[in-house]
Amino acid sequence: MLPVQWATSLKFIPSSTDKLWVDDLTREFLLESQEGLDRMERGLTELESRPADAELLAEIFRSVHTIKGTTGFLGFPRLEALAHAGENLLGLLRDGRVTADANIVSGLLALLDRLRGILRTIEATGVEGEPKHDDGAMIGRLESLQGAPAAGSSAGRKPATPAGAETGAVASIGSRVRRPAKKRARREEAPMCVAPLRDPPVAEEAGPQGNERAVARVAEERETSSSHADSASSPRPEAVAAAVSSASPVAGTADCTLRVATELLNRMMNLVGELVLTRNQILQANSADAAFAPLGRRLDTVTADLREAVMKARMQPVNHVFARFPRLVRDLARSLGKPVRLELEGQETELDKSLLEAIRDPLTHAIRNAVDHGIESAEIRAAAGKPPEGLVRLRARHESSHVIVEVQDDGAGMNIERIRAKAIDRGLVEAARAAQMSEREILQLVFLAGFSTADAVTSISGRGVGMDVVRTNVEKIGGKVEIDSDAGHGTTLRLRIPLTLAIIPALIVHSREQNFAIPQAALVELVHLDADQVSVGIDWLGNAALYRLRGRLLPLLFLDRLLQQPPREQGACDIAILNADGRRFGLVVDGVADPQEIVVKPLAAVLRDIGVYAGASILGNGEMALILHPGAIAQSAGIGLTEETQEAGPDEANPAARDDFLLVETSSRRAALPLETVVRIERVPPSRIERAGARAVLRFEQELLPLNGVMDESGAAETPTTVVICREGTRQVGFLVNRVLDVAPGSSLREAGTSALSAGVALLRDQVTEIISPGCAPLPATCEDCPGLAAELQA
Amino acid sequence: MKREGTASIPGSRQEICSLKAGGMHFAAPLARILEILGKPFVQHVPLAPDFVGGVVHYRGEVLIAISLRGLLGMESASSKGDVLVFESGNGPFGLIVDAVGEVLSVSANDLEPCPSNLDSRCEALMAGAWKLPDRLLIALDPERLEPQRVASAAAQSRKGSHAD
Repeated sequence: MLPVQWATSLKFIPSSTDKLWVDDLTREFLLESQEGLDRMERGLTELESRPADAELLAEIFRSVHTIKGTTGFLGFPRLEALAHAGENLLGLLRDGRVTADANIVSGLLALLDRLRGILRTIEATGVEGEPKHDDGAMIGRLESLQGAPAAGSSAGRKPATPAGAETGAVASIGSRVRRPAKKRARREEAPMCVAPLRDPPVAEEAGPQGNERAVARVAEERETSSSHADSASSPRPEAVAAAVSSASPVAGTADCTLRVATELLNRMMNLVGELVLTRNQILQANSADAAFAPLGRRLDTVTADLREAVMKARMQPVNHVFARFPRLVRDLARSLGKPVRLELEGQETELDKSLLEAIRDPLTHAIRNAVDHGIESAEIRAAAGKPPEGLVRLRARHESSHVIVEVQDDGAGMNIERIRAKAIDRGLVEAARAAQMSEREILQLVFLAGFSTADAVTSISGRGVGMDVVRTNVEKIGGKVEIDSDAGHGTTLRLRIPLTLAIIPALIVHSREQNFAIPQAALVELVHLDADQVSVGIDWLGNAALYRLRGRLLPLLFLDRLLQQPPREQGACDIAILNADGRRFGLVVDGVADPQEIVVKPLAAVLRDIGVYAGASILGNGEMALILHPGAIAQSAGIGLTEETQEAGPDEANPAARDDFLLVETSSRRAALPLETVVRIERVPPSRIERAGARAVLRFEQELLPLNGVMDESGAAETPTTVVICREGTRQVGFLVNRVLDVAPGSSLREAGTSALSAGVALLRDQVTEIISPGCAPLPATCEDCPGLAAELQA
Repeated sequence: MKREGTASIPGSRQEICSLKAGGMHFAAPLARILEILGKPFVQHVPLAPDFVGGVVHYRGEVLIAISLRGLLGMESASSKGDVLVFESGNGPFGLIVDAVGEVLSVSANDLEPCPSNLDSRCEALMAGAWKLPDRLLIALDPERLEPQRVASAAAQSRKGSHAD
């Protein structure tokens, strides 16, 4: 017992995020309005391609209408006036009296930015603030758009109307804004409405000066660049701040709240109820009680389920981030004068909320780069025989415990030689070294700080702060970035993001009686060397240790020497073969313990600065393990990048479509498990398999493992059963199989399967084999039972 | 939130906690101590600077623990020590001492500035000395024990010694 025990109160330290001047009602309004505006933005960008979509128009109208209604009630006259003007225009659009064109969409988008700006001001100060830009001009612009001709054909007939209508509109707003608004509207906004970019005849007739069109273009460009470039003098810095940097230390209202499905919340509540019940029972029972062991097991399952539910609640569809990109691409494309289409795919893929926020900036950078540098101008595209409209594809999908986000463009691709020359020119790499580098290595050079391939530095990107920012941000959250390029056909940037930050699968290893964790993501395989094999197996070239792995030399690093631990007598050791961002090496450790799902805890800056540790974790037995950072270790040891394809066979030309599978035989048929998800294979006596309710479970490393698959009841009870333990999200599941057959590469045919998400089939050794997805129990039917499907797949 | 202000008011009383490390007696202001962990398991961190004793498990977090012996350039203790948890601008940190003594109520008048003939390493850490009727206690200033500050101070002195 300690002589003294205290806890000082921290109550009087005020929270910096406390904004007393924003009451609950306003906060709610802000949140709702921001969501409404997000919907409106999505709708507007779609509107350009589908101007007559009544449903779309109705939705946009509703968003603005809701804002108008609430603002009047809360007393925000600026917002109300602006929303009202927007609503009027949208009303006409909805009724089909005006047809949406690029100008109207631009006008409405400008309104949207203005509304957002005011909302941010309210969030920060509680009041709307004085208009920096004249609202009257904006309202005038919107009203003049109402007078715009309903159809392109009638455009030429009333050239003078817009300007006149606009002046009238401004006058009607009130004396407060009359003078400056009028002037401003004339100078800046009027050209916008009388000289649509895509309608030259109108411009010629309407403009008092012949060069009005040029003015319009300039105005338009200023418009887009002001909301998307990071110039400090921008009239709308709020939009800029959100797009370019996350400088704001205080998270906005929308960032610190989360919408969670009531159903999920109910489930969490039930689990907590069960947890409390179990706790009560444990408190009453004593350790000698026979009921104690099952109680412990129940506690374990409930905890695991609860953890999973909480993690799930943090998951948000990537659409939250993707939704802003159509607008971004539209504005960029217009300011650059290149037609570009954005295709989104896999928007429903879910990712942890904090990670979602973290990939926002890198993705914005990547998309800008794709549109600005990737896509060529329409003329060059035509000359290369490509469709004039460029295509940027943004895709998200799950891949084992990662989410892959790809930004793909069909542009010119990257010029390897130019990158090489540039890197040498910038002093990023020595000429002699650059000459030896593989294409893949050269491509990765763009991620170095201070690299830019743009010939002309444009206002949008190419200031040399593109890709290195992308890489740093993604690596900060434990992700990886890769770039692939096909000269003439485009570039693909691939972000590999872990599903969640908090929990990672890791392998626990020992070095001098101390635990260390190696993230599974970097682990390729393990090699065990017995004491007598050590001297034979490890080759030395001077001071460099090498290991012959299937004929190839692999550089070795010794963890104990790396950590300057006291030397020990030579004995058996294990080599963990690691691949850290393309750097392959073997890490020699004293011993290997178990793979575990570990909770990552941050380390103090002093320890982080050592450069070897990525964090720490508290293990099940209460001990702590430092998490090693394979990338940093490889880099500090000077391990170079390796061609990833070197080891791959000739049939692995397209790695995306091919995966390795573990072939198993279950009670009468062949099935396959994706090798990526397999954690280990265990032989257990049937007596160790217990039943918890309807489910078979196995006690395994102090954890309860739910088992899938039919237990062979008829089989002899003494022969051990094989259990394949797979990773499913953040937990593990076991599969009962008769025996493990082989590991084979297979082409995934998942998309063609009937239940595309839960299970599928693959071509393995030219046989259609069912894939068991760890997420669910295997299908009751085999492929042989549905010959139609099998035939279809083979066709 | 500055709380050390109380020390400067003459005559006011404050509570300090006495500590022992390597045969020397220290005292830390009680108000700055979040918690005292009694002989916890301290995990050694290879490659960490000498003043880092390791990491400890504190309320679900992995906390860096500064070793008072390490700071003073002494051999690390053979037996487990107690860990005091302090709050700092960069989050909480631990301080490993040989043993925690008792809580004493002292008058601010009893605090004497650093004696000039003290070990320089000791001098860098201390805010003065508490004059108790029967002994002297070196007053520790948690601000100066903050890991990052200690690290940059160590880097500075290394640079200095290289220059010599």
